[in-house]
Amino acid sequence: MSWQVKTIAQRTGDLLPGSPWTAALYVLLTILAVTAFVTVAGLVLIYAERKIAAHFQCRVGPMRVGWHGVLQSIADAIKLLMKEDIVPRDADALLHILAPVLSFAGMLLVMIALPMSPSLQVADMNIGVLYVTAVSGLGVLGILLGGWSSNNKWSLLGAMRAGAQIISYEVSATLALLVVVLFAGTLQLSGIVQSQDTGWWIWRAHGCGLVAFAIFMIAGTAEINRTPFDLAEGESELTAGFHTEYSGLRFSFFFLSEFLNMFVLAAMASTLFLGGWMPLHIGHFAALNGVMDLLPPGLWFALKTTAIIFLIMWFRWTFPRLRVDQLMRLEWKILLPIGFVNLFVSAACVVTGFYFFAR
Amino acid sequence: MSDESIAVPELSPPPEKHVGTGGALAGPVPWIDKSGAVGGVFKGIRSLFTGMKITVGYLMRPSTVVTQQYPENRETLKLPDRFRAQLAFNHDANGYHKCTMCRICEEACPNVSIIITGREKPAVSKKELDSFVWRLDSCTFCNTCVIVCPFGVLRFDGTFESSVYDRRLLAYTLNEYAGPVASVLEKIEDPDARKAAMEPRDPYGGHAVIEALIVKQKAKKVAEKAAREAARVARVAAKLAAAVPPPEAENAG
Repeated sequence: MSWQVKTIAQRTGDLLPGSPWTAALYVLLTILAVTAFVTVAGLVLIYAERKIAAHFQCRVGPMRVGWHGVLQSIADAIKLLMKEDIVPRDADALLHILAPVLSFAGMLLVMIALPMSPSLQVADMNIGVLYVTAVSGLGVLGILLGGWSSNNKWSLLGAMRAGAQIISYEVSATLALLVVVLFAGTLQLSGIVQSQDTGWWIWRAHGCGLVAFAIFMIAGTAEINRTPFDLAEGESELTAGFHTEYSGLRFSFFFLSEFLNMFVLAAMASTLFLGGWMPLHIGHFAALNGVMDLLPPGLWFALKTTAIIFLIMWFRWTFPRLRVDQLMRLEWKILLPIGFVNLFVSAACVVTGFYFFAR
Repeated sequence: MSDESIAVPELSPPPEKHVGTGGALAGPVPWIDKSGAVGGVFKGIRSLFTGMKITVGYLMRPSTVVTQQYPENRETLKLPDRFRAQLAFNHDANGYHKCTMCRICEEACPNVSIIITGREKPAVSKKELDSFVWRLDSCTFCNTCVIVCPFGVLRFDGTFESSVYDRRLLAYTLNEYAGPVASVLEKIEDPDARKAAMEPRDPYGGHAVIEALIVKQKAKKVAEKAAREAARVARVAAKLAAAVPPPEAENAG
């Protein structure tokens, strides 16, 4: 079974010769849909995080607003919208306002490249993986600006930690991505998904995929500043790190982009290592593949992403925070050498065609 | 000077077993990881999985939840046995208590939250309990009074809904009656006489006791001040008398 990939950008292109106004309306609707998705996904993720965290710690989490607190996120969002938006007197006002916007924009720009199903992808670039890696770096710019412009020592310390941490772990994450790029032979995200129609890269590459997946998960968790790598906003050390001085809507922008970055990380991990929207196929066993195809691809993507998000939350509520020196040691002395060796081994595998269901 | 005069204290040899752990950590020092670089990595990974197993165990078993949905489950609320919310007096089935007014709890209380007043015991020179006032507003619930009481009179119980609109209501009188202890009461055979010996006390009468105490202390201070003043006047008068020579002596000079 071959998959017809049609992105929203392509459909807009098809509409353009007929009527530019229809195309414009289509683009407008797409923007609205992406914004709505980001908002709703953020609210759902925050609720899920609170509930799961509570049960990991023998608590029950929000219980008052709606059935088992399902409306708690909405109540919190309304509260944040109502709050006074404070810019500290000695802060750099322009940068202080710009920082959450940049952080949010970095997340939003990655969002448009994610292949959620063959028909649900905003833009499918032929350099997809490179684009995602590059654009997600805008987030750290927002964090650094936020910490710098707040004119607060805690903020600055948090931001500098975040900068050092994200730049370090970007190396390992990219090395892990390269393994998949080597095997798939393309940088295009939909191409990578389609290259997994005989099996996901996590098990097809004799362990290289598994090691790369582990490295990507560790480095990705560090890149989105979540526990055990939340040094940038470690409450016990830096009150709230880079967003100490933020309140109201701007704080919620930081918060939302943090949670959506978790979604982006999970979506990238599932796209690259677990086949994205591709159902579970094993080689050319038509019977099994046919059964797996009964579930729509969008649902496969959602299931895989949810599983990885749960894994990240599980990490967060189990592991203690690392010290700065331990953080750097983990990256430069453990992850990076393993990543390089893994890359060489997988390159050898690709050259010799030594992996499952090689074409 | 010889070397012997300089006393070099001999360093004591390191202890065989770790102090304070009951010897449980005997052997090599536990915080030096000797599993090596590669072994350390695998050991660390294994410990991460151990932690994840524990947390997912809590997630999977809702019975481990300790949160109480308080206002809703007020009827069925179950508090831990050692919950400390309010100090209470142990009265037996007859309503007698065993407090002999020894004041050990009052002495032990770190922030004067217990105020005991006694009254003259009829026919004996000793005193018996008049009122045992406990101030919730300054209590830290340290449990020391319960521990030190030699007769087991005090206990902490879990009636935690103690909010009131007037701060003065937070001074509780814990004893239900002023009078002799249980052993003395049991010796009185006439029930009417027994009842007469037990003068009832209001739980919210504690503030009156405290105020009376304050008035008493103020009066004492005023009296002390007056006495000091009188003594000073007397001292000055004596000094003057000593400095100014008597007129007869002047005449003589």
